[in-house]
Amino acid sequence: MIQLFDLSKRYGPHTALNHIHLKIGKGEFVFVTGPSGAGKTTLLRMIFGAEKPATGHILINAINLNRISRSNLDLLRRKIGFVFQDFKLLSNKTVFENVAIALEVTGLPSKSVKKKTHQTLRLVGLAEREKAYPLSLSGGEQQRVAIARAIVNDPLILLADEPTGNLDPDLTLDIMTLFRNIHQHGTTVVIATHSRQLLAGADCRIIVLHQGNISGDTW
Amino acid sequence: MRGLRFYFFRQALLNIKRNITVHVLSIGTIVASLLILGAFLLLFGNLNNWLRQWGSALSMSVYLKDGISAYKRDKIDSLLRGLPGTRTIRYISKDDAMNELKGALGDEAGFLKELRPNPLPASYEVIFEDRQAVTVDPEKISRQLESLDGVEEVQHSTQWLTRIEGFLDVVRLVGYIIGALLCLCVVFIVTNTIKLTIHLRRKEIEILKLVGATDWFVKLPFMLEGMIEGLAGGGAAILALFLTYLALSAKEIYLIGPAPLNFVFLPTAYVALILLLSTMLGVVGSLIAIGRFFDVS
Repeated sequence: MIQLFDLSKRYGPHTALNHIHLKIGKGEFVFVTGPSGAGKTTLLRMIFGAEKPATGHILINAINLNRISRSNLDLLRRKIGFVFQDFKLLSNKTVFENVAIALEVTGLPSKSVKKKTHQTLRLVGLAEREKAYPLSLSGGEQQRVAIARAIVNDPLILLADEPTGNLDPDLTLDIMTLFRNIHQHGTTVVIATHSRQLLAGADCRIIVLHQGNISGDTW
Repeated sequence: MRGLRFYFFRQALLNIKRNITVHVLSIGTIVASLLILGAFLLLFGNLNNWLRQWGSALSMSVYLKDGISAYKRDKIDSLLRGLPGTRTIRYISKDDAMNELKGALGDEAGFLKELRPNPLPASYEVIFEDRQAVTVDPEKISRQLESLDGVEEVQHSTQWLTRIEGFLDVVRLVGYIIGALLCLCVVFIVTNTIKLTIHLRRKEIEILKLVGATDWFVKLPFMLEGMIEGLAGGGAAILALFLTYLALSAKEIYLIGPAPLNFVFLPTAYVALILLLSTMLGVVGSLIAIGRFFDVS
């Protein structure tokens, strides 16, 4: 599903990723962890095609992102959901519109957009709040809107960057249950986090990054 | 695909609604620019019409010397009546000429009372059949008449026609230059408005790209926004021009001859052309803005 070969990225003097090799199989549930500045966000952004590597190759479903055209990258992104640390919600659009946007870009008929968006909002427990605006929601609710937008078009891969960074322990548990449910439907889930609470007792693969290198890869 | 078309229009209209002040100001400026262009076309079109109408009927004024004898006048009269293709030949005595002038001046004719003796000459007004129907050489006839004893001066409409046609050529050239500058002005206005809306919506653009929107999916509403802005500006300019025309056409305008000028509105083709032009300028303006200020990487 995801293959990284000799991947490097530098920001000025700082090495974000240092010649890393990594394979994540279809349907895996993976945590990427490490201290701040270890390269977690950079890794996720590269898998998403939002950053270009200095060296190396990224293959998503055997498609090399170095050689992909811009229009094909747009199409590929429809199959990769991304939950951003800062949610990236549009404050002038309702919860419903924020989620529906991911379907509208695919050209789906508006009837189907409505149906699928309602379904997804029910799944994340926000059916009652679909007409609310993001700024009137709690942090946990905003996070669930961001997750709903990332999963609304049934992505093959779900990437989440510190999805519980701003949440209290109870909400963290809710969000993790949501990710587990999505994973059970066959989606490959990659979560970048430095939360010890999240990793404690995790029965899944954990990749540890340190100064741009993979320092641990455990099951 | 149908749903997607509605989506683009809905987005474009929503964008306009969200930044209504910017768009209203922008459309207002477009209206002002196109109004100048439209007014020019209206005036130029009517001038051309009047000229064509006037030029199609050859007319001639034969001014007589004061104190001309009845014999000499009869001789001139019979020569005029012998000319081919004449429609009407009318003798205007000195008194008739003064009365006509008084009638034309209306309330402002008071000062004419002071003019004694009457300085206006007696004349013959000769109107020929349409120029297409007769082949007369006005220059030749003028020379012939001027050689007669008792004729002071002969003026014919083609002399004026040539002068006005020369003037219209200059007006046309000035019109092209002004028109081109105004078109550039409209493009500049639209470019800047769309640039501003792109800036205001940069977060939305970023998110659209992150969820897999193609470049054109993101760009098209901006293009439609420019198109709607241009069309609205063109439509409002036509409306304003039409209202001005209604106000003007209610008055009788005398410029040449005793009959009021027939003031007509722009032909439908011109109206369509202005609307098409304004729409196209809107599209060009937004394309320039998209090309220069759109970073969707």
